[in-house]
Amino acid sequence: MSFQIPIGPQHPALKEPISLRMTVEGEVITDADIRLGYNHRGLEKLAEERTWIQNIYLTERICGICSHSHATCYVQGVEKLMELTPPRRGLYIRYLVSELERVHSHLLWLGVAGHEAGFDSFFMYTWRDREIVMDLLEMISGNRVHYAINTLGGVRRDLDEGQKSKILEGVATLRKRSEYYFRIGATEPSFVARIAGVGMLSKERAIALCAVGPVLRASGVARDVRKEDPCAVYDELDFNIGTADSCDVLGRVVVRVKELLESYKMIEQMVKGLPDGDIVAKAPRKAKPGETVSRYEAPRGENIHYIQANGSDKPERLKVRAPTLANYPATVEMLRKGFIADIPLIFAAIDPCICCAERTVTLVSARSGEESVVRMSDLRRRALARSGNAPVKGNAVWPF
Amino acid sequence: MRIAAFLPELLRHLFKKPATVDYPFQKLAVPKDFRGTPYLRPELCIVCKACERDCPAEAIEITDVDPAEKRFKMIIHNDRCIHCAQCVDSCPTTPKAMQIDSLYEIATDDRHKLKAEWVFARAVMKPKASAPAAPAAPAA
Repeated sequence: MSFQIPIGPQHPALKEPISLRMTVEGEVITDADIRLGYNHRGLEKLAEERTWIQNIYLTERICGICSHSHATCYVQGVEKLMELTPPRRGLYIRYLVSELERVHSHLLWLGVAGHEAGFDSFFMYTWRDREIVMDLLEMISGNRVHYAINTLGGVRRDLDEGQKSKILEGVATLRKRSEYYFRIGATEPSFVARIAGVGMLSKERAIALCAVGPVLRASGVARDVRKEDPCAVYDELDFNIGTADSCDVLGRVVVRVKELLESYKMIEQMVKGLPDGDIVAKAPRKAKPGETVSRYEAPRGENIHYIQANGSDKPERLKVRAPTLANYPATVEMLRKGFIADIPLIFAAIDPCICCAERTVTLVSARSGEESVVRMSDLRRRALARSGNAPVKGNAVWPF
Repeated sequence: MRIAAFLPELLRHLFKKPATVDYPFQKLAVPKDFRGTPYLRPELCIVCKACERDCPAEAIEITDVDPAEKRFKMIIHNDRCIHCAQCVDSCPTTPKAMQIDSLYEIATDDRHKLKAEWVFARAVMKPKASAPAAPAAPAA
């Protein structure tokens, strides 16, 4: 006999509203269903009514943890549209903040994973160490969460010698601590036993379901935007993609710790090789008509912004594909054949950011009342099929 | 594999001083680039309205008071302000008419108390300073 267990939209295990419906037989989950739409904010529509400059601060507020990721992804795209080349020093500072943000996000996630696995002292120590990198970010940008360091054509704050040496000092401490956590992860038997073999996602399924970021890399696929499509400074840096082959939550922990160590390496290279010169180039107020897709490796995975310009000082369309959204299909797969007690752990392992991802469309079939969450590609395919069948409009005029 | 590999670290922390500070009695230093509350230096403002146009939160409002005497009123709605300091970046004057302070304890029990207001006469740019940013569309 099977039961349905609803988890969420409000649940102690979830920090943000999302609804998971589990069909269970005994303790084993046989099917899972994710329902979204509890946190829709109408951000993309709002972006169409703001200027290019104002939208930097809007996109920064898509997420609280990876605020810099969204702002950088947006700024990259707009710079491409405006044919603007930021100065080298500006780019180095921008991606230095990116890597520091990755460090803070992964340390936060390690703490959450420890907490969900019942290892609360691990959670407290990683979060204490995270304060080091938060202080560095505050020192560089002025604020702790919304750094607001990006602007069109570069960055807004410069680095001086004192700040550089403080960053190197902080990173040295953090590296020591991360190596310690890596060792703990490898030697603490209770922690490893709790997370090993939980939330299996095979390599084939991870590719088929388009998983991104650490979830994909933990399934043995070395895919990273920083390496495959290196933007700006990443092709000058020496780093590796951290992967694991265990395909479970343990693998996701290992991948994130490896990425931490790679990020420290990159931060040191960027601080030591910081070029001289300006930090910002003057940006025009308007962008030429056109469209662009900007990709950026956020701490949670690949972040995509699609930006369309119509020649005015406002975007015609801004579409955000947050990494969490890409990981939902894989989460359903991971939850299947798992236990009820593993749900928070598996769900936390994709590092979900619900408020980032709230922009899908749920279709309700009028005949059967059946709901289905549709991906953007499906919607596009349907739209193409629809426009192919539609009669040709003879008198339509291009509005610009 | 070792049972309780974390234990030595836990014991060591028994003898360390706390990582936090005693907040209301002891305060942390604010970083040099901290973005606090924006304020206006009315004697420098040329009323180009660049800050009003660029503010992402629409927190700045500039209105005419007396067009004949070129007097203007600026209201900063600090309850809407998101403290991004874009107004300071956008300000074309040197030194900047829009400034940002480093106060961080600005909470009040009423959002209307956060409103800041200035009534001032439009500043005229000195000839030597006007070279880079010529009077950018003064208010009609």
